[in-house]
Amino acid sequence: MENTTINIVNTVGDSFCVEAEDGQKVFELIKKVLSEKRSVTLSFLNVEMLTTAFLNTAVGQLYRDFSEEFIKKSLKVENLTNSGAVSLKRVVDTAKLYYKDPEAMQRSINDIMGE
Amino acid sequence: MTQLVNINNTFESYQKLIDFYQEHKYKEFDTIHLELRQWFAANMCAALGGILDAFTDNLNDVKIDYISPDIERILLKNDFLSFFGRSRMIDNYHTTIRFLKLKLSDGKFFNNYVVNELIGRTELPKMSYLVKEKMTEAIYEIFVNAQIHSESRQIYTCGQFFPRDNTIEFTIVDTGIGFKRKVNERFNANLNSIQAIKWAIMDKNTTKVGVTGGIGLALLKEFIEKNRGKMQIISDDGFYQFDIQGEQSYFFNGSFPGTIVNLQFRTDDNSSYILKKEFDNNNIF
Repeated sequence: MENTTINIVNTVGDSFCVEAEDGQKVFELIKKVLSEKRSVTLSFLNVEMLTTAFLNTAVGQLYRDFSEEFIKKSLKVENLTNSGAVSLKRVVDTAKLYYKDPEAMQRSINDIMGE
Repeated sequence: MTQLVNINNTFESYQKLIDFYQEHKYKEFDTIHLELRQWFAANMCAALGGILDAFTDNLNDVKIDYISPDIERILLKNDFLSFFGRSRMIDNYHTTIRFLKLKLSDGKFFNNYVVNELIGRTELPKMSYLVKEKMTEAIYEIFVNAQIHSESRQIYTCGQFFPRDNTIEFTIVDTGIGFKRKVNERFNANLNSIQAIKWAIMDKNTTKVGVTGGIGLALLKEFIEKNRGKMQIISDDGFYQFDIQGEQSYFFNGSFPGTIVNLQFRTDDNSSYILKKEFDNNNIF
């Protein structure tokens, strides 16, 4: 599979990758590449600040549009700090659950109201 | 005329601010007189700024008739009073974190603010780089949360260092729809304000449609626990606090027109935020 590298800092235009809207730009690029059946490397070189809100839109949403298996095979990261990797792992685990069971949120609300 | 006397980061002080808002919220083309006496915690400028803007949006004139000299000095240094016709005073002790009023789209300004007012500050020798990084991350999560969810026109932030207590107080305020309405509209539910706040703090819970989320507030709470700090969320008529003593929640008499998130961080935190072993990047997806 041919690989495309996406430079996060260049795509966002800032070393602070914090806003959900900026994550959306990254998501659209990843989606375009994956739709062409190419693999993607996300380069986090020079990223100084990351939020889960950014990672949710940039990466989390992919689990809505592609299978876990395909993402695992096609997506790689480089130059991600340890704390960035922990945040990304948490975003990914949350996304997998969220898209597997979209009714879970509503059930948790119903549980509170039923108490 | 309203006197705000001895305003701190307590339930009682938030109640006084809510009373002030409730007293004047329906006024139009009027003059609202205010006095600040005894003590006013600088970070609370964020909440007061939101309330005063609600009044000026109704074309009222706000007159701050008297401020105790100690309070006045701080509110001149942190820029708050420059929004009310006064000149800024230089902060020689470097303990203030500027009052800032932002539109939701002003994320880049917030970046500069965070760099200048928090990350770049050298007056905190005790604070390790990692704690500073974690604290900044937490503040960002709250800011972005307000951007995404609040439907507010403005976001207000302000803070203060307390070198003797080894703490930083930082407050982010929006005058948007609040947790209760947001959650209830999304899920066609009927939670009260405290139930809505508690639900939103739980890991993985989000009101976003079609996009995953719900990690920011949970991460913040985990960091606050490790840091031995404090978080307070005031939204609508709900008050929620989490600190080393555990969770507390109460209802206010009347509602705040939006959400206040007040964070207290300990700067003398010696916890290690370094992971014991390298994270395997091949094992993320």
